[in-house]
Amino acid sequence: MADIKSLEHPTLKVPYEILNKKFRTAQKTLDREVSHIQQAAIELEKTLDGREVRARDISTLLGGMVEKLQVLKRKAEESISEELAASNVCKRRLEHLKEHNTLSTNGQVSQGALNQWRRTRLDRMVVEYFLRNGYYNAAITLADRSGIKDLTNIDIFLTSREVEKSLANRETTKCLMWCHDNKSKLRKLKSNMEFNIRIQEFVELIRSDRRIDAIKHARKHFPSFEEEHLATIQQVMALLAYPVTTVIGRYKALFDETRWDTLIEQFRQENYKLFQLASQSVFTVTLQAGLSALKTPQCYSDNHENRNPLCPVCRPHLNELAESLPFAHCSQSRLYCFISGLPMNENNQPMMLPNGYIYGEQALTQMARENNGQVICPKTKQVFPFKKVEKVFVM
Amino acid sequence: MEACLAVEKEVDRVFSKFGGINEHAKRVLSDLIKQIQNLKEEYQNVGDDFKLTPIQIDVLKENVAKVKETVSKLATDHRDLHSTVSKVGKAIDRNFIADFNATTREDVFASQEKINLINKVICQHFYRQGMHDVADELAKEADITPEPHEKEPFTELNHILDCLKNKDLEPALAWATAHHDSLEAQNSSLEFMLHRLKFIELLKQGALYQTEAISYARTHFRKFVRRHEKDIQTLMGMLLYIPNGISASPYGSILGTEMWMEIYELFMRDACQMLGVCVNSPLTTCINAGCIAVPALHNIKQVMMQRQVTGIWSGKDELPIEIDLGNENKYHSMFACPILRQQSTQVNPPMRLVCGHVISRDALNKLCNGNKMKCPYCPIEQAPTDARLIYF
Ligand SMILES: [Zn+2]
Ligand SMILES: [Zn+2]
Repeated sequence: MADIKSLEHPTLKVPYEILNKKFRTAQKTLDREVSHIQQAAIELEKTLDGREVRARDISTLLGGMVEKLQVLKRKAEESISEELAASNVCKRRLEHLKEHNTLSTNGQVSQGALNQWRRTRLDRMVVEYFLRNGYYNAAITLADRSGIKDLTNIDIFLTSREVEKSLANRETTKCLMWCHDNKSKLRKLKSNMEFNIRIQEFVELIRSDRRIDAIKHARKHFPSFEEEHLATIQQVMALLAYPVTTVIGRYKALFDETRWDTLIEQFRQENYKLFQLASQSVFTVTLQAGLSALKTPQCYSDNHENRNPLCPVCRPHLNELAESLPFAHCSQSRLYCFISGLPMNENNQPMMLPNGYIYGEQALTQMARENNGQVICPKTKQVFPFKKVEKVFVM
Repeated sequence: MEACLAVEKEVDRVFSKFGGINEHAKRVLSDLIKQIQNLKEEYQNVGDDFKLTPIQIDVLKENVAKVKETVSKLATDHRDLHSTVSKVGKAIDRNFIADFNATTREDVFASQEKINLINKVICQHFYRQGMHDVADELAKEADITPEPHEKEPFTELNHILDCLKNKDLEPALAWATAHHDSLEAQNSSLEFMLHRLKFIELLKQGALYQTEAISYARTHFRKFVRRHEKDIQTLMGMLLYIPNGISASPYGSILGTEMWMEIYELFMRDACQMLGVCVNSPLTTCINAGCIAVPALHNIKQVMMQRQVTGIWSGKDELPIEIDLGNENKYHSMFACPILRQQSTQVNPPMRLVCGHVISRDALNKLCNGNKMKCPYCPIEQAPTDARLIYF
């Protein structure tokens, strides 16, 4: 269960953040509709306090109020059902996490169910990794194939893909809309995404030689950022005085096209923060830890005989990948016979051949029996008489 | 599990509160609408120039006040639910770990070169699983050239496993029958378990299939009598309960859906063993190991911080703790010097002393006293130069 606690935070936190957002939207909607009704009520009260109260006027005002009440009723229903749907996603994911220890009929955790669950977990992790790297089609294909769409955060990534795409096309509207949608959260996160977008728009106006429009743009959008970013604003405004081809470092940098890529990267990171996603995927974190836990010096020994084709870290790509990671920690010897794969211990004494290689007593005895008292070192192919084999004591 | 239950408790509360406010809003708003609608119709029908009496005005004022109060209370009630919602978030933060900083180094897999390697590994994994469409998509989007991969024997196995997932036993049975001798040699009960499941499925279809079930048992169970006599007795005992349905019988419990899950696992395990391939792909093995390692590393984070070690991965070339991956994942012998409590390396390899005891070369050098040394385990005096380099 420790793995659930350590690895599943984003599985639950993302749908929670969505629920929270739905709640805030719902509240806004309700407040707006309620205030419409309150206004209608005030108007009605005013009329009732007038000198002459005509039935015709009253009936019209009452009619207006009925309409507004109906709107409130409809919007309340819609909003609350969205909140319930968002809660349902949380619930569904919890149900899935709980399947981690499905009990079989004999009251024990079913190994089959657990293995199945683990395979699904790998697929979930890979989908998230794909999404973070922008492999959207691969992510969708995998989620479909293993039927886990509702357990992954595909939807929010697809929304952000739209924003990324538009930024890549040098368009700012979608990103600004996103900033607006998440205004309060972004303010809390001290995001300067919107400011950076406004600067970019300013730069682009200058690039296309619309300096007057640039000034208008600056007057309209920069003042709200003055408090925090005055120095930057002044520096950016100075751009008006320079040609697009300027060689002066900090102005040249502002005209650099790769600023758009930086904006995309900033957007990605802030979107993660919005949903409380760590900057690394659970997949890469787990892969790192797993490779380290499996990594032994033998996986990198010059002597290829020491490598084991079944060991993941001994395999080409993973071997390269694990190169810079720490080795597993081992404070107690664990020895296995290379020939039989059996543990070497007091029941299967480790034995040294004259060439210094160690194998288990059982395998060597059997080999000697089948070979007229000779043993062959499987790693060096040297042949020795069994009686030259010596005991080794490992504490 | 407690972690999930703690969050679930809060989610359930959200459900009941929002469900409640939903019902409540529907009811009070319908009532209000009806009431105001009635008033409206009343004044619509009294004639346009009718002037309201003071009593009528008072009644109307009361109604308007009620509307104001009801709708504003509705908004307030909804606002009050915020604490219920945010408790879910707090429960998640309290019971789950959000921060991986302690267990990873952010930059190690950041380079394009490393990402390409990861993608190749994932690609191979999905080819092995028979999910070629996923692998192909990835190769295209990540712009890598898929490498030749081991197709056999996985194509056949994947087909059989897919069929098992869809509760089709035939291909698995055919495979097991064809490999009867090899399976028998590795003491596998796969073939019997497949027949057993087939028999149970026949029984589940009720009395109509009774004869068929009996003849199936007679044809197929015979060759397993020696190893599975008890199981066969149990299975045949089930026939007693067919008239009233087996699910209501003492055997009801063995009919669960996890039977299919277990047979899937059994097939995968025994078939892979017979073919000499790993049940899990290298990627699966790594991730499963990681799922054990990450919580262990989280646990010692506290300890590390007390010791003022900044990070688990900082500069050290070894993890700070031993991680027990169970018996499946032991691919190499590990020698840890009993004196230095350190794993041997190429520069500090294991040495066998004349007496047979093994220590690391560094330990040997430390124990040297001129050209003499005493084995710390059996105090035999010896020359350090007599120690031999050994290879596990
Ligand atoms: Zn290895
Ligand atoms: Zn000794």
